[in-house]
Amino acid sequence: MSRILAIAWKDLRSTMRNVPALVMMLVAPLALAALLGFAFGGGQSFSITATKVAVANADTGAFGVGAVGNYGAVVVGVMKSPDLKDIITVSDKPSAAAARKAVDDGKAAAAVVIPADFSGVMSGASSVAPTTAIEVYENPTQQIGGAITESIVGQALLGFNGARAAAVAASGLATANGDGDRAGELAQQAAAKYIQGGGAAAGVSVAQRAPRLPGGASTKDVGVSGTILAGMMVFFMFFGANNVARTILDEERAGTLPRLFTTPTPRRTILGGKFSSVFVTVIVQAVILLVGGRFIFSIDWGRLDAVAALTLVAAAVASGLALLLISLVRTPAQAGGIGAGVYLVLALLGGNFTGAAAAGGAYATIQKLTPNGWLLQGWDAVMRGGGLADIVLNLVVPLLFAVVFFAVAVLRFRKRFA
Amino acid sequence: MKRIWTLASKDLLETRRDRLALLFTVIMPLAFTTFFGLMFGGGSDRLPLAIVNADSGAPAMQLVSALAQSGVVKTEAMTIAAAEKAVDDNKVAAALEIPAGFSAALAAGRPAALTMVSVAGSTGAQTVQTEVMALAGRLAAGERAAQAAVAVAGTPPGSDPAVGEQALKDAALLMARPLAAQSLAHPVATVKVVQAGMAAGQIPTGFVLSSPGMLVNFILFSLLTAGIALIQERRNFTLLRLMTTRVRRWELIAGKAVGMFALTFVQQIILMGAGQLLFGVDYLRDPAALLLMMVALSLFASTLGLLLAAVLTSEQAMVATTVIVSMSVAALSGAWFPLEITGPAFQAVGHLLPTAWILDGLRGIIVRGFGVADVLPAFGVALAWSTALFVLAVWRFRLSD
Amino acid sequence: MSIVEVQELRKQYDPPKGVLAVDGVSFDIAKGEIFSLLGPNGAGKSTTISMLSCLLHPSGGDALVDGHSVVTDAQAVKEAIGVVPQDIALYPDMSARENLIFWGKMYGLAGEALKTRVNEVLELITLVDRQKDRVEKFSGGMKRRVNIGVALLHKPKVLYLDEPTVGIDPQSRRSILDGILALRDQGMTILYTTHYMAEAQELSDRIGIVDHGKMIAVGTNDELVKIVGEEARVELNVDHSLEGMVERWAEVQGVTKAMIDEDRAVLLVQDANEVLPRLFETAAAAGSRITEASVTEPNLEMVFLHLTGRALRE
Repeated sequence: MSRILAIAWKDLRSTMRNVPALVMMLVAPLALAALLGFAFGGGQSFSITATKVAVANADTGAFGVGAVGNYGAVVVGVMKSPDLKDIITVSDKPSAAAARKAVDDGKAAAAVVIPADFSGVMSGASSVAPTTAIEVYENPTQQIGGAITESIVGQALLGFNGARAAAVAASGLATANGDGDRAGELAQQAAAKYIQGGGAAAGVSVAQRAPRLPGGASTKDVGVSGTILAGMMVFFMFFGANNVARTILDEERAGTLPRLFTTPTPRRTILGGKFSSVFVTVIVQAVILLVGGRFIFSIDWGRLDAVAALTLVAAAVASGLALLLISLVRTPAQAGGIGAGVYLVLALLGGNFTGAAAAGGAYATIQKLTPNGWLLQGWDAVMRGGGLADIVLNLVVPLLFAVVFFAVAVLRFRKRFA
Repeated sequence: MKRIWTLASKDLLETRRDRLALLFTVIMPLAFTTFFGLMFGGGSDRLPLAIVNADSGAPAMQLVSALAQSGVVKTEAMTIAAAEKAVDDNKVAAALEIPAGFSAALAAGRPAALTMVSVAGSTGAQTVQTEVMALAGRLAAGERAAQAAVAVAGTPPGSDPAVGEQALKDAALLMARPLAAQSLAHPVATVKVVQAGMAAGQIPTGFVLSSPGMLVNFILFSLLTAGIALIQERRNFTLLRLMTTRVRRWELIAGKAVGMFALTFVQQIILMGAGQLLFGVDYLRDPAALLLMMVALSLFASTLGLLLAAVLTSEQAMVATTVIVSMSVAALSGAWFPLEITGPAFQAVGHLLPTAWILDGLRGIIVRGFGVADVLPAFGVALAWSTALFVLAVWRFRLSD
Repeated sequence: MSIVEVQELRKQYDPPKGVLAVDGVSFDIAKGEIFSLLGPNGAGKSTTISMLSCLLHPSGGDALVDGHSVVTDAQAVKEAIGVVPQDIALYPDMSARENLIFWGKMYGLAGEALKTRVNEVLELITLVDRQKDRVEKFSGGMKRRVNIGVALLHKPKVLYLDEPTVGIDPQSRRSILDGILALRDQGMTILYTTHYMAEAQELSDRIGIVDHGKMIAVGTNDELVKIVGEEARVELNVDHSLEGMVERWAEVQGVTKAMIDEDRAVLLVQDANEVLPRLFETAAAAGSRITEASVTEPNLEMVFLHLTGRALRE
């Protein structure tokens, strides 16, 4: 046992003296987490810049009986309201073509084009067209901006359509009550009343809250930094494990491994020592990153027992995978190249770079194909306040992966170093 | 010039023979792209939404039924406890709590509150919330319209205001509601969405938008194999030996660059071909513009790889640096997530990099019908960067350890 | 009595058609003696040592080290031997002391006993003042000394040294050779492989000459040299057509072997004084002029040449 520890300690010390390895294991995850944190506003939440919208109001207005003036201007007014200033930034354009050009030139994410007959159709004054439409011309690569613009315009239109519905309903009621000749007048009054009442805006509100745990306590909001650093940590633990496992090949070439085999220490102890080296190094790496996350990014990782369990299982997965890969390749250079490729694919599939997938989607299923996907979901749950009982599967499934990795690695090493 | 080509072809030949390099520069990205395309190429799924309805009134039922028919969400009724857990476990994107007084509040003309239970920051929850607000908004609008109509025209003329006003009003409401709902169902004013550059009615799928990003990711990563090969050559002293021939230093380096350029270019052809033929990602929409972007990307990738291999000495350092650099560049360029969801500072920094411009160019070609003139700025940025990187590489290139 | 008995050791890589690296090698080493395996590169020396170190399984035969079989009792053999491999097998980013402590643990030492022994070995290899420096900073000779020191930590009964002086400066080589002699004087048995004849001659009590996996001669220096009898080595060069001359010289009476080595003629002759004039005559008769001539008395290189028809150095 002490000889296994002696080997593990030697390798750990070696890693601490290896600058590229330290950069990979410690600096890279923290630096990338900082970079991505900076991406998302550097704060605790995903905040995005206001969408730029170009608007062209060609509405000629409708003046006369029951008309309010320029309905198009009302819509523009809604868009420019102070409540929305963090969400959209509106710029006026003289024509539809100019507004669309703003989108084409990349200066706006969307353009809102209000047609000339808008007020006319809305007020019923125009007999030419029964319906009208406001065009939202979007840049398809800016889906979010487009969706936001559609939503805002839709809300504004709802106001008009609602007033119209009030008018229609009042007209119908009047007719049913035998008051048909006052139908038009009552319709306009109903529409006016609807608008005075604040329209749909006063109708329904939606408040958001975090889900509650079985005990009744609310789950915590996980900051962006926590999710990102967890993903980076697991990804770079793969590399950390790879670096140490690689030394098995390096030592084989350098002659120190065969020399170890000429000592009275049995081969299984020697290989066991190398396996332990990988595991121990990765645990130390994880602990440093967890502490770093706590103090540099103020991440609250959650309950200690759950965090410890996740860390141990993550270390087992990383070590097992690295040892498996090493047992399959021949040269240290291959180990570096193949390892990087495999880890990248696993990370892309498991969501290390992108965070939790949308529920029910294909991506959520794909993430479950990877051990790191399960682990990351576990970290997320624990950061939201969960405990060991909530992450049982997130511990057991990756552990099974690790066991299989280790088993195959042991078989191959035995064959190689018989 | 001929010497440069000879050097480059030697490198390419070695790469073709090195099965490992082949695996990682061609097969793996291809397999990955195919996998992702199959998963996401078909358009988006409906987001699961749990509904906890504590209200038995008609408006609540209407809301539930409207959501059930929505193309954005897929609803499932649950108890509150089950819903909390489902949200926490990410089995549903969100849960909607309709409280017991909802219908009554709407009917009385008071503001009605709904609660969404979701994990903060989840984009799925955002989308669900938008849809719920839209549908609930319409519902409320219909209710308010009916209320307004009844207030104005609910009592027949000449009826006794004191007698059974409420009953009259109730009866009127029963008639007004469907009228209002009917009107709202066929609105006079609608939103017409036009996606610039795309055929009518089409929306780009998630895969189409993410395909160029993945491409850039893999190209950057393949610098790894090329760089490692170069480092090994240095270690074998074959590089130094080449210098004792009449090959000049800059010719040697240019030969390396040409080799890397060709490798990444071939990679792009393969990946874009797969995207185009298998998943309908319309790269070939403007072949001239596409060619410009491909050249730009390969120029940048090869000169970057060259510089890294020039200054780094060990394979370990190469792996470490390539992983970090390629990940940072990918993130900053919008390969992993759209830059529109990041802050302005990040976008500014990201657009210092040619890859951000190239990605904008590629997405523009596919989705917005960009032409040569539109991607020329991107090409220019990439050319400037590549020249600078090449000069640095030549200056710092070490021929031996 | 013999502390090492090698019995018909064989090693074939990738049977049945693979290379037969060691083909039935047998020899004994007496307690307290220095035994050299002498032979050119590729003769099978390292393979033999690997089998004796229990690194490789023999394809046939056996060897007893301190009474234990390398095939069935490897553990006990490893306790009794110290192995100094041909390449430096140390951890370059660790100091000399750290290396010794680690390897000492691998040899089963611990605690105070380990520390004491490490200090002793550092004295032995005269690196006490550089013990805290990283091995990667050492000169070739210093690395070799640490390489040897590691093998001495557990006080083995037999020490294997596989080409320990390849590629180092004469001063370090001298100190290593002196060190080996000192160890022998303290009672250590030493198995030493080399392709340097001078070392084998200087150090060894007995020598085994190997070539192509076979042991072709065993004995003390004197015994071996007697194989070639009084044959002397004559080296000659002519101004033109060396090959033709060599063929003629091969026919000259008293010449037992004639060959070309490194652009000169190498002949084994029975009596240099008698044969040399004949060689000059033959050259003159053929119209060639001799440009250089030297005579070397019998030594191990000549033994090798005699036995194999090839030079020890390739």
